Amino acid sequence: MRYDDMTEAIGNTPLVRIDPAVHGLRNIDLYAKMELLNPFGSLKDRAALAMLRPLLDGAVRRGDTVVELSSGNTAKALAMLAGMHGLPFKSVTNRMKVPEVKDLLLLLGAEIEELPGQAECLDPTDTEDPLTRMHQALAADGSGYVHTDQYFNDDNVEAHFGGTGPEIVKDLDGRAPDYFIACVGTAGSSTGVARALRQHDPDVRVIGLVAQKSDFIPGIRTIDEVHEVGLFDPGVYDDLETISADEAIDGMLTLIRRCGTPAGPTGGGAYQGAIRHLRELDATLGERRTAVFIVCDRMESYLSYLRERRPTLFGRPARRHDHRTLTAAEVAAAPAIDVPEAQRWPGLVVDLRSPYAFQAQHIAGSINIVDEVFDELLHGGLPFSRRQPVLLVCPVGEKSARYAALLSRMGHPYVRSLAGGVIAWRDAGAPLVRD
Amino acid sequence: MPDLNPLYLTPRIEPVARSVLDDSELLRQLVDGLGSPLNIVLPDLLEANVEAFRESYRHHRLRGRVYFAHKANRSAALLRRLAAIGDAGADVASLAELQHALGAGFGPERIMATGPKSREFLWLAARTGVIVNADSLGELTDLAALVAEHRLPRVRVMVRLSEFASQGVQVISRRSRFGVPAGGLGEVLDLLEKHREELEPVGVAYHLDTIGWPEKAIALEGCLAALEECRSRGLEVRSVDIGGGFGVNYLADGAQWERYTSELAQAVLGRREPMTWNGHGYGLRNEAGTLRGVLGLYPSYRPVSGPGYLDQLLEAHAPGLRRPLGSLLLDTMYDLDIEPGRALLDQCGIVLARVLEVRDSVIRLDCNARDVSLEEHGVLMDPLVITADKSDTAKAFYLFGNLCLEADLITRRQVFLPTTPRAGDLLAFVNTAGYFMDFSATQALHQPIGRKVAVYRDGGAWRWCLDEQYWPVHPRAEES
Repeated sequence: MRYDDMTEAIGNTPLVRIDPAVHGLRNIDLYAKMELLNPFGSLKDRAALAMLRPLLDGAVRRGDTVVELSSGNTAKALAMLAGMHGLPFKSVTNRMKVPEVKDLLLLLGAEIEELPGQAECLDPTDTEDPLTRMHQALAADGSGYVHTDQYFNDDNVEAHFGGTGPEIVKDLDGRAPDYFIACVGTAGSSTGVARALRQHDPDVRVIGLVAQKSDFIPGIRTIDEVHEVGLFDPGVYDDLETISADEAIDGMLTLIRRCGTPAGPTGGGAYQGAIRHLRELDATLGERRTAVFIVCDRMESYLSYLRERRPTLFGRPARRHDHRTLTAAEVAAAPAIDVPEAQRWPGLVVDLRSPYAFQAQHIAGSINIVDEVFDELLHGGLPFSRRQPVLLVCPVGEKSARYAALLSRMGHPYVRSLAGGVIAWRDAGAPLVRD
Repeated sequence: MPDLNPLYLTPRIEPVARSVLDDSELLRQLVDGLGSPLNIVLPDLLEANVEAFRESYRHHRLRGRVYFAHKANRSAALLRRLAAIGDAGADVASLAELQHALGAGFGPERIMATGPKSREFLWLAARTGVIVNADSLGELTDLAALVAEHRLPRVRVMVRLSEFASQGVQVISRRSRFGVPAGGLGEVLDLLEKHREELEPVGVAYHLDTIGWPEKAIALEGCLAALEECRSRGLEVRSVDIGGGFGVNYLADGAQWERYTSELAQAVLGRREPMTWNGHGYGLRNEAGTLRGVLGLYPSYRPVSGPGYLDQLLEAHAPGLRRPLGSLLLDTMYDLDIEPGRALLDQCGIVLARVLEVRDSVIRLDCNARDVSLEEHGVLMDPLVITADKSDTAKAFYLFGNLCLEADLITRRQVFLPTTPRAGDLLAFVNTAGYFMDFSATQALHQPIGRKVAVYRDGGAWRWCLDEQYWPVHPRAEES
């Protein structure tokens, strides 16, 4: 396969059968449309290309910046596409909730603008919210921007009506599936695919999945937020069901661990929502049926999201010399000295505060090892000779007492903590220097 | 599928306020004697509210002062009670507020003058030796001239900064009227050095009108950098003032808030009966079946607020220095000053209004929208019905005010009440001490402004006095 550029690799993703031993449905064949195999990593590659293509000539001629309201896959795809044509890309978001996505976008050269939070002292006469102002700024002639407007742009739907949908029919030997299950984000893929499938067979049942209102699943809108999407038409869906973040993660884990599919939370949610919906039907069926769901993107961007919601997945073995294993009695017994004695200290003084604070003011002759680095050092063993006297200093004498206790436990005979810390030192009028 | 059950927004009421509300005889006597509307303040609750912030300070091992933002309520009783609480301070934003704080018993070391300032305000601040939190270069120049001209003692000043730069991701903040752009700090320092005989810089400040903590994290880190620049120029600065905006949780049940706002969106889209007067959308609008705009309401259910919000900010990582902001403050040994208004007054006030008439779906009250300015501040929560009739007659009402003015609705939304009140009953608007009691009240149409009483616990019972009569030494305090 030889291509002129990466955009030719967008689309024509495989439709993969999920092993019945995994999903447990007896009368339904379940297929996953593997959109995670698009070159930039998600089904948004199709929409981004479809939306940007008609704007490209003008944008390149004028040197415009491509701009989109996206905190995820659309931004990634648009940043790559814009970059291929030498155009800058800017993503405007309400709050990027997934830090990896933010870092990835910066890596791709995107500019990110976060809109301000709600005012604490509300001015209800200020009816123009920041988003509306931004839309006005973008719409002005000669603004220097082209706005792909994914939530309202029909090319978003068209990409799936002409691509994703017909591909599914082709791969099912010219038949539309009986059920199509999709998470609703911009509603572009679910609307476009549903329209294509129904053109083939009006009886296709379409199940849309949204998040519960107080929940957060990256890439899925909540039951309220879907109404803010111009492309959203409730008539597209035979059923609109909610899915929880917990269910989406369960689904992700099944796809990752059992199906060789490194799916993100949207794919996981679609799988779990499909199983939940189909399981009841399955028992009542007398003939074979087919169902298709979409795996939108990959797992790698969501590690911190998973770490926060399922910390047990990342359980690591305990490390040696961990100060969290100290007992209250050990900490209380940590050897400490007061300020006058510390002023006569003959040995090394180690300041555990941040380098920033250390550089501003410190005890003359001390060295700075910030607590998190010191913590790492101790996991490896004693970092000082047992014959070297060490005085530990922190802001109030609390962290230094813990580390003095830990060093004592590790067999250092001559370690002390400065009682009351550098604040007590300052308050006693002892000299601090910046050098 | 519209939700046809009553859409309650039940206020969060803690035991002390609840016990006052249960004393319906007292409430009726107060309104009978002093008229409607009537404002009640509960000074006894302040100590616990200050203590909750202090607990957050202790948790992060930080020092510094909690200044009450006086503008949240004009009450003398609340201010005097705070003056009696060891180390609490007062943030005053006008000449009269400064006079009030000095008269309530705050020493100058416990007062911070903020906001736009007149010459008279600056003079009294300098004369008495309170900290002047300066908004602009011009104000610093004026202050220095005033001090020199009148041979006043050197004045402690803080400099309010604004427009902090963010790195990597550009975080946008609303434009502010106040503060010196952080990029212009050099000019400020030149000025402070020039006037070192008159001005003694003690720290820098920011105040952002936002509930989003990421903007505040950038501002706080910006202030740390500014303090470092001050020190490198030999100025002995020691504190950072992060203003207020810690917020209050007004509602008892988050599920009610979620249901209400979902249904409001449905109503704006025309998929259910309107829930508001003339189909008002609170910022939402229907454009061809799509919901546009932004809900212009305070998040009435706000589980992380007050001291919890301060914790969240202090635990947030400084975007540049990559260490929790609380640790950086502790490491650098700066004091943290805060100026909570509504968060310190959580639960401390109730506005009572008499029901004049009940007909169909309307309740007409003897107070107006300015007397209980929840709507003006975008806070939605239900009033309580104080009535002898406890029958279960739930119904939705519009609450009309006593002004001859189309717009005088206490709230533009339909309020569901579990019991239908009768003429003569009272409605109690709880948790209204912070900004909703006397901030906007006017005497338009010669309608009276509500009188204010302090209600306090004494000898096992609730007692009251007029607000200006209250001092924190009520006669039988030793018996309680």
